[in-house]
Amino acid sequence: MAKKAKSRTIAVRLVSMALTGYYKTLIRPRTHRPLSMLKYDPVVRKKVLFLEQKRGGR
Amino acid sequence: MNSRQYIKLAESLPPRLTRFFARYPPQALLSQSTTLSSSTPSTSSSARDSTASSVEEMTAGQDGLAVPSPFRAQKHPVTGKWHDPVFSLRRQAELVKLARQHGVEELLPYTVKGTEERLRRRAENGLRVKGTGIGQRVKGKESERTLKGRLEKRRQAMLDMPQMIQTWKERGHGRGWKKWPK
Repeated sequence: MAKKAKSRTIAVRLVSMALTGYYKTLIRPRTHRPLSMLKYDPVVRKKVLFLEQKRGGR
Repeated sequence: MNSRQYIKLAESLPPRLTRFFARYPPQALLSQSTTLSSSTPSTSSSARDSTASSVEEMTAGQDGLAVPSPFRAQKHPVTGKWHDPVFSLRRQAELVKLARQHGVEELLPYTVKGTEERLRRRAENGLRVKGTGIGQRVKGKESERTLKGRLEKRRQAMLDMPQMIQTWKERGHGRGWKKWPK
């Protein structure tokens, strides 16, 4: 049986670099570079840097 | 007579207590009742009760001892396993309360829920809350135990945040970023 084709996009998790455990889940194309952006963290109530978590697991 | 008093007393007690005393006759009365032929504290004069009490007496006579306390865990003589008390602590407390209302608490077997034991503990411990004595501490949930460290880490991260954002902007908004979080 042929393997199922990988989807073009993936869901990634952007974690707050304020180490609050807060994160946002976004969707990006699989071939795109990792996402990073300034976003609001409600725990520290400030705009902080969010970086994409390294994928892998299992 | 003594027995007549007991009869009167038994009639005034609520059924829950009379049932209990029929099943577990008080030690003090039991020793008297052996001399007084068949008068047991359970004197609700029904056939079922009298048979039950006579059976009880028989078993007690065989053992030479009274029935084991229903308020204590029992070790099985053969298997050596522990069996829970017949009455749970909650039901023990309920029975004690009921007996105290009717003034027959002394007739119940020893229980940690008894007034005397309670007063003794109050005298010993006062109003102390568990875990607050000398050399004791409350373990707490893991989140409570690690709270301080986590907050400190967060504070440090927030102090470094402007610098981090600066480098992030300098490196083309993440294009040249090497250290991605795990």
